[in-house]
Amino acid sequence: MTNDSNMILEVRDLTKTYGDNLEKRIILKQINLEVKRNEFLCILGSSGCGKTTLLRCIAGFENYSGSVLVNGKEKLAPGIDRIMVFQDFNQLFPWKTVEKNVQYPLKLQGIRDKAELRKRTHEVLRKVKLLEYAHYYPHQLSGGMKQRVAIAKALALKPEIILMDEPFAALDAMTRNQLQNELLAISLEENCTIIFITHNIQEAIVLGTRIIVLEKGGNILIDRDNPIKRPVTPASEGYGAVWEQLHSALYQENKPNTDIIVD
Amino acid sequence: MQHNQKREKVHAVLVKVVFIIFILVIWEVAARMRIFGSRSELLFPPLEVIGKAFIRNFIEGYAGRSLWIYIGNSMLLLTKGLGIGILLSFLFSGLSMVSRNFYHIYNLMVSIFDLLPGVALLPVVIIIFGIKPDVIVFLVVHAVLWPMSRSILDGFLAVPQIYVEAGMNIGLRGAALLWGVYLPAAMSYILSGLKVGWARAWRGLISAEMIFGIATCPGIGLFINQMRTNMNNAEMYAILVVIIIIGLIVQYGILVPIENCTTRKWGMSK
Repeated sequence: MTNDSNMILEVRDLTKTYGDNLEKRIILKQINLEVKRNEFLCILGSSGCGKTTLLRCIAGFENYSGSVLVNGKEKLAPGIDRIMVFQDFNQLFPWKTVEKNVQYPLKLQGIRDKAELRKRTHEVLRKVKLLEYAHYYPHQLSGGMKQRVAIAKALALKPEIILMDEPFAALDAMTRNQLQNELLAISLEENCTIIFITHNIQEAIVLGTRIIVLEKGGNILIDRDNPIKRPVTPASEGYGAVWEQLHSALYQENKPNTDIIVD
Repeated sequence: MQHNQKREKVHAVLVKVVFIIFILVIWEVAARMRIFGSRSELLFPPLEVIGKAFIRNFIEGYAGRSLWIYIGNSMLLLTKGLGIGILLSFLFSGLSMVSRNFYHIYNLMVSIFDLLPGVALLPVVIIIFGIKPDVIVFLVVHAVLWPMSRSILDGFLAVPQIYVEAGMNIGLRGAALLWGVYLPAAMSYILSGLKVGWARAWRGLISAEMIFGIATCPGIGLFINQMRTNMNNAEMYAILVVIIIIGLIVQYGILVPIENCTTRKWGMSK
């Protein structure tokens, strides 16, 4: 166990397989990963490389061998210290209004004071620009708005880590850009650690302070800090070089014996 | 949009009213033309005669008791049976989600008992309870418990995994997860179970009351049976109208408002 108090998450020798002994498929093989506090880690990978499985293992939704430690303590089940924002728009409870969706987890944490609940809910809804939709039901919102509420719900809980599984993947390009900017602003404002799964290189460069590229089987091909000054645009200095490096890693992952590039 | 919805609603009501008037006109024509000859009086008594019988049922009633008393007795037994049946179906379906073995056993029980008509159990139930109102309550419970449980179980199994995971993520486990996620997420199934369960219970109750009347607690079924025995067909039809009216009141006065306040409001049904 590391003594580095700045280290919020450690993944040790995590292996995930599906199927039985006769037909075993290895999805992730002995993954080791450390994430620092307040880091915005983007995990890039092609479809089926195991990035979502890795996130689900960290969230506690899957069985695996190895260990996941948050602040040095092993985690075996889902918990409010690791809040997941799913790709699916339908992750909000349709029977609760936007406000109640955000408040419900807070109530479960024992916050009963109505004024406190209101304050925290309104604070996060304002951050995601949805305060005026507090009394709407999820079915009355667009996909992008639902994802915003899911982010607000996560923020309100002030978890140790927010796990985001391609939350913007199903959105149109304009909404996606808008939400990326909002998330970036929120991450700069808040002290939060985010692990963000994507298969979009631009998204990883715009959002991440650190970027990892996974290949099939969960091998880490690239693990580097993002050197580009925020806010990142395609015109930012160094954008092309980073993009090129990530792109070639993503599309050459079938190449045998690819060396791990650590920046 | 709202204007369109209102127009749609008015249209739906209008279609239903026109249809009912159409049926009543056909009835009256059939009655006046005496198309069934000598049997016409029994088969198609004129609407006016049925109307008068309707009022007479409530004022004079049968055996010195107004129809209100019979309705009251039936509703009392029905409410008791429905209450117990709904409670048990939630309890057993909930337990099925907690214990896998209980699920297998209960699933089998639902499949078996849902096939058994309540009245077929009547001889056994009478031996157990004797000729008491409890027999009717038992049959109502039997009528509602199995279809309702089937719907709840199907509903629980159909809850999207993402709701369950979102619930577990915010700390819900066991009974709290059942209450906080499974129940509301399965609401459209539960409501559909409630509709089927209520209709089965209502029919089961009247069938049971027609087969054997309990002197201490005579119900609507007994009333119908007496009218049938005495060939008072207009009175009999008038009670059928009462049964339909009660059914519609429950449907539009209770079930539809529950649906409007839940699944429709939540966008889970149209």
